[in-house]
Amino acid sequence: MSDTRPIEIEVLRYQPGARAEPYVQSWAVQFADDTSVLEALQRIKDLHDGSLTFRWSCRMAICGSCGMMINGVPRLACRTFLREFLPGPVRVEPLAHFPIERDLVVDANDFMTKLATIRPFIVPREERPLSEGEYRQTPAELERFEQFSHCINCMLCYAACPQYGLDTKFLGPGLTALLHRYNNDSRDGAREERMQLVHSDEGVWGCTAVGYCSVVCPKQVDPANAVNQNKTMSAVDWFARFLPGRRP
Amino acid sequence: MTRKPYVRPMRGWWRRDPYFTRYMAREATAVLVLAYAAILLVTIERLAQGRDAFEAWMELLRGRAFLALHLAIVATFVLHTVTWFAIMPKTMPPVEVAGRRLGPAAITGAGLVASLAASVTLFLTLRHLAS
Amino acid sequence: MSPLESLEFDVAIVGAGGAGLRAAIAIAERDPSLTIALLSKVYPMRSHTVAAEGGSAGVVLPEDSLEHHFNDTVSGGDWLCDQDAVEYFVAHCTEEMVQLDHWGCPWSRRDDGRANVRAFGGMKIERTWFAADLTGFHILHTLFQTSIKYPTIHRFDEHFCCDLLVDGGRAAGVLAIEVATGDFRAIHARSVVIATGGAGRVFRQNTNGGIVTGDGMGLAYRRGVPLRDMEFVQYHPTCMPGSGLLFTEACRGEGGVLVNKDGYRYLQDYGLGPPDPWPRKKAMELGPRDRLSQAFWHEERKGRTVSTAHGAAVNLDLRHLGAAKLRARLPQICELAEKYLGIDPAHAPIPVRPAVHYTMGGIPTDVRAATPMPGLFAAGECASSGIHGANRLGSNSLSELCVFGKVAGEEAARFARENGHGDRGRVRAQAESGRDAASAPLRRLGSGERLAQLRDTMARAMEEGCGIYRTAAGIERTCSTLSQLRERIGEVALEDRSSGWNTQWLALLELGFQLEVAEAMAHSALARRESRGAHQRLDEGCTQRDDARFLKHTLAWHDGRDAPRVGWSDVVITRSPPGERIYGREVAHE
Repeated sequence: MSDTRPIEIEVLRYQPGARAEPYVQSWAVQFADDTSVLEALQRIKDLHDGSLTFRWSCRMAICGSCGMMINGVPRLACRTFLREFLPGPVRVEPLAHFPIERDLVVDANDFMTKLATIRPFIVPREERPLSEGEYRQTPAELERFEQFSHCINCMLCYAACPQYGLDTKFLGPGLTALLHRYNNDSRDGAREERMQLVHSDEGVWGCTAVGYCSVVCPKQVDPANAVNQNKTMSAVDWFARFLPGRRP
Repeated sequence: MTRKPYVRPMRGWWRRDPYFTRYMAREATAVLVLAYAAILLVTIERLAQGRDAFEAWMELLRGRAFLALHLAIVATFVLHTVTWFAIMPKTMPPVEVAGRRLGPAAITGAGLVASLAASVTLFLTLRHLAS
Repeated sequence: MSPLESLEFDVAIVGAGGAGLRAAIAIAERDPSLTIALLSKVYPMRSHTVAAEGGSAGVVLPEDSLEHHFNDTVSGGDWLCDQDAVEYFVAHCTEEMVQLDHWGCPWSRRDDGRANVRAFGGMKIERTWFAADLTGFHILHTLFQTSIKYPTIHRFDEHFCCDLLVDGGRAAGVLAIEVATGDFRAIHARSVVIATGGAGRVFRQNTNGGIVTGDGMGLAYRRGVPLRDMEFVQYHPTCMPGSGLLFTEACRGEGGVLVNKDGYRYLQDYGLGPPDPWPRKKAMELGPRDRLSQAFWHEERKGRTVSTAHGAAVNLDLRHLGAAKLRARLPQICELAEKYLGIDPAHAPIPVRPAVHYTMGGIPTDVRAATPMPGLFAAGECASSGIHGANRLGSNSLSELCVFGKVAGEEAARFARENGHGDRGRVRAQAESGRDAASAPLRRLGSGERLAQLRDTMARAMEEGCGIYRTAAGIERTCSTLSQLRERIGEVALEDRSSGWNTQWLALLELGFQLEVAEAMAHSALARRESRGAHQRLDEGCTQRDDARFLKHTLAWHDGRDAPRVGWSDVVITRSPPGERIYGREVAHE
């Protein structure tokens, strides 16, 4: 490898069988201009310590596997470059607000369980046989939800959300954005059912508009917008109950 | 093997990241907003109690302690206003003007300008009424 | 001894990418009385389907026809396609794209609200449905989120399948490791679908995610199922030098061009010209991937490529598309170029080179997605469905996931309804010995050789011996290296001996699959003494297509610790006798 410099990587490790508490271990790694944090971790695992454990796959910020805290900020390791942190050290920790399973792997079960509860699929507004072809959806209608469909489920927004950290019953930014994506899809008709989740104690009212979720989102989904728009809609729906004959 | 997930404590969370610290400062401005609301309420109450009570209250307000408090309140209100309009784009559905979607900077900017204009107008009006 | 839990389901599906999810949904819809175990070594949305970008084929335009799609596919595959499978495939693509729409896939639209289609490599007429340049991402998330509707789909997320359970010659289930704990689960099933994706990670430079290690191919191969046409490995022509990350073919579909260091559109020198008018279907940069990758290889030989820190490259020029169109149609490409290379495609060309992208070969299936083993079905990249032949056309793979994913699911459901379970005692015993074999590395002391060393040696050997152009000498060297690696892997010492979240152990199991799959690729390449599609040879007598001797599929049979035996099977020819692949100037006369 040409033109490389060394940098110190500090990793918060946790091995439940071996030690009761997490501890920090560091290594010096050679890196080039385009070496990512993920590549550095792979190098450590390949050459120095095969027990270092972390999730990864695509290397191109689309699978959402490699979310971790890098110098205290939730980032995707494959798209965070060591050159940004000169002279170092770089501190790598598991994603905040999630229990640590081992090393940089967190317990994602809460997210996965909640994902199933928001009805994240089209419940057709009107049935349409396949023989009639695709639903007609104009570019303008697509635009209403497209941005919110870009969520890669990386959970960086949950690591950025202190309200989720304080109370994991909160539905949270990413899943509210996904819920919002379906509500705004012209093909879907289940908005009313999903709003029940929005109105609930664990719904949008847990959000205090910190806004950090949207800052860290690697796909510019803007979950803060999804959550806060739904606060407005939740309030409107609540008042609309008093109007005769009006459907929220 | 049994899993033993480790839960990290949230204690001191708002000190971990400058973004969180700024957020807490924003939220803390509510305290001085409340203080000013209390001052206004007391002012109205003194007014209702008659000239002497009102004058005495005004004299108190001209004191150094209250002056310092008012300066702190003004500074806080500015921070409160700026952070309010900074977060406002997050609360709104897409806004279109002349076929193009308004960016967050435009929405925040418009809010700050409107806020400034309203403040100046109110100030001038009150000063005119007082004279 | 690690715990081994036995569970019973009607159908087990290994792999929860596009094909696996589509199969699961098909079973749940067709027969809600059947229970489905859907196992994946990663959460479903991490599956490599997510990285596919450009689009998914399905005939829609009035000037298009199934005949055209059929002909493009068969000629694109250099006539090694099973034409009955291609006929079925092209007839069902569009219906699957519509089905995805009904399930919420955010297809990019025309102004009238209908799905838009774009031109793609090797295709005569626009038929590639797309969702910006995130088509695989959207298809995967649509299928995953839709699968949540069905209570009969029981997911086993982060479960690594280490063995296929077979009883009396038929599939009887799978043995899986729960990654979080290292505990084993024997899933007894009446039928099994393998949908584990390709094996591109056996090569050094590739577009693939870390998980694409040929596990499912290995599972079937070790149990006596041959692997078909393994020598055919697709090099995608436009990838990032070094990392191999993909720049979608849609860049060229939207009008992007490839130029060498002299700014010259070199593809015209390789039978793909004339350069203008542009864009033009099946010509120049919209030629098939094998031809484009081969052209790069020649340009590099001639010294006409550009030098980068990660080796030779050519320039993908998208500047003339303009910033607005780039942001709208190719946003992910812009992001990749900017974040990883510091290049804004609206102002500078992107250096690209071929990297391994797709495995045409795999577990052989017929038009009903059935493998040679009763009760075992396969779909997606892990299968050799017969539709891609010697070279796959872009956007046929995403469609394949849906078309044959559905078929595999329905056929597996039918088999499950018509057959009982394997003998529970025998299957359990097999699972126990599978557990012992898989756990052995955790107890072994080993020579201290590092896993990464073997893996890198394999990847380099495959790049050298099974590259874009091959020679007998080169392939033989690779075969020899692989044989040695298969010995050495038995001595690798694991630093990590824990059972829970031991990814070093799992990487070793993956390497085991990879070495065997790589051997099948290399030995099949040696046996095919001709050049066809993506398999090109430089040695004498092998430089041309030889239909008389080699219009046949290769079949590689696992042979214990020895190298695989290679045999042959017939290609199904129905409507289209082998002809010449015509791109470039002659297309106008078709």
